[in-house]
Amino acid sequence: MSSEFEISRSITIGQYVPTDSYIHRLDPRVKLLLFVVIVVAIAFNTSYIGNAIGLFLSLYLFWASKIPISYGLSGVKPAIPFIIILALLQLLFQGQLFSGGKVYVDYGFILITSESIRLVVVSAVRFIEIIFLSSVLTLSTSTTQLTHSIQSLLSPLKKINFPVHEISLITTISIRFVPTFAIEMEKMMKAQASRGADFGTGGWWRIIQRTKETFPIIIPLFNIALSRAEDLILAMESRCYTPGGNRSSYSVYKTLAKDYLVLLVGLLFAYLLIFYPFPF
Amino acid sequence: MEPIIRLENVSFSYKINEKTKVSVLKNISFSIIPGEYVAIIGHNGSGKSTLSKHLNGILTPDNGDVWVHGNNTKDTNNKRSIRQTVGTVFQHPDNQIVATIVEEDVAFGLENIEVPREEMKKRVDEALNVVKMSQFRHRPPHHLSGGQKQRVAIAGVLAMHPDCIVFDEATSMLDSFGRKEVLQVMRKMNNMGMTIITVTHHMSEAAEADRIIVIEDGQIVMDAPPREIFKHKQELKNLQLEVPSVSQMAEGIHQQFPDFSTELIQEDEFIDEVMKFSKVEVI
Ligand SMILES: Nc1ncnc2c1ncn2[C@@H]1O[C@H](COP(=O)(O)OP(=O)(O)OP(=O)(O)O)[C@@H](O)[C@H]1O
Ligand SMILES: [Mg+2]
Repeated sequence: MSSEFEISRSITIGQYVPTDSYIHRLDPRVKLLLFVVIVVAIAFNTSYIGNAIGLFLSLYLFWASKIPISYGLSGVKPAIPFIIILALLQLLFQGQLFSGGKVYVDYGFILITSESIRLVVVSAVRFIEIIFLSSVLTLSTSTTQLTHSIQSLLSPLKKINFPVHEISLITTISIRFVPTFAIEMEKMMKAQASRGADFGTGGWWRIIQRTKETFPIIIPLFNIALSRAEDLILAMESRCYTPGGNRSSYSVYKTLAKDYLVLLVGLLFAYLLIFYPFPF
Repeated sequence: MEPIIRLENVSFSYKINEKTKVSVLKNISFSIIPGEYVAIIGHNGSGKSTLSKHLNGILTPDNGDVWVHGNNTKDTNNKRSIRQTVGTVFQHPDNQIVATIVEEDVAFGLENIEVPREEMKKRVDEALNVVKMSQFRHRPPHHLSGGQKQRVAIAGVLAMHPDCIVFDEATSMLDSFGRKEVLQVMRKMNNMGMTIITVTHHMSEAAEADRIIVIEDGQIVMDAPPREIFKHKQELKNLQLEVPSVSQMAEGIHQQFPDFSTELIQEDEFIDEVMKFSKVEVI
């Protein structure tokens, strides 16, 4: 009975696992940049070998960052039904589009070929790779480092008056308040439940009922959010915050030789994934 | 001495809409001298928070003036220097922490006033030290207790090197342990020469101050040292205020033993008096 209220515990955002590995100590901007590049590269690669290498890389990163692989698996678990449904749909309906190779089944509109099987397997593996990679990124990089990296990587956009500082502050504040609101929501659910409201007793497939259940929670939550926002503005103004004003920065990251090296290796890796003609 | 904050005939009303206004502050004047420790008390809705928002220019008076180090809060050019001089710690520890890591939050104000990085590091270390939160510097705020969060908020203000800190019910969300932690920090900062203004509902907290200002319906009704204020039990009662529990107990004992002093406002005084009294009785 207790589990359905404990939202704050199951929040993984900003779940930083400090093992102080060399992955943790890399310049976060390099990590973020490589993450984006490699995910794109994986999305381009359609070969078995390429994706096997990608999968191997993501497993290696778990090992290298000394983070238990169970963290990655717990990220994959909720996605499994989705992956299966996607695979089935692709297998049944996309055969006509990828009709190369040997034909295994040809029955009505269903056409299963070695090419369409490749598509199915590769996209499932790809999915898992991307979940693993993003887990490693967020588990080895604190949210502050991430927001600073976003700010730093976007900073060239300042020239065209893109509000980089503001965006990064908004991101930081949102992340900062996720656990606060989760706790708030828990309190509210308990309060409502103690007055006879019913949470989580309908199965997950009863979507309408479950959506209705959340209304008595969401609306007061909005209220609380607004009053908190008002307080926060006062506190920020009292500490000399001026929107659009210049600010200095507390965290500064130095890109060292080893960061450049990792960047180079990563880019090379991505290049190969995209352009190397894997035989299988 | 030149006052750090001077209010002259300050009046203020909130505008609810075009026609209605709620008049909250009515012709308030007082001065605060550098190094003073002042408590502001008054029942709910008497205008204490509104008053404290005037002290650093978050709100500006409709009539009258607020001067901080001789700078008028109405002049927007003074805004930054005034907020650097007078910092504020608010009631809800959760609603004033901006960053996702303790030390980053302490640095937030410093980033705003563009302190160079080396200086920033030094000040963050120093401020965390004063509030005894150094070992928590890398924690996310939601892993801290209420008292600890409030001390982080204080460190954030402290790092800006203000001359005066206003605490608007900064202890009201805390349990007695958390409150003690924060009170200790306040005492310490006052001893370091900082001006402290604290808005509170806890009379034992007000008793710590050098001076108490009692607000009723947007006006100052009493302004005196605590010992003086707490003599006026009946007046305070009429203002829906109490005397510290120590004074109440002393009064109770006084009923039984007329020699027992009624003018006690602090715990240690009370203990001393009990010791003195019990010795007399035994001998
Ligand atoms: N933003 C606002 N808009 C309109 N009226 C307000 C606003 N803030 C406060 N008031 C009104 O001003 C009066 C004084 O409020 P204030 O918050 O200053 O009192 P307070 O002494 O701090 O009370 P408390 O002890 O509850 O904190 C109250 O009657 C309140 O309803
Ligand atoms: Mg108030």
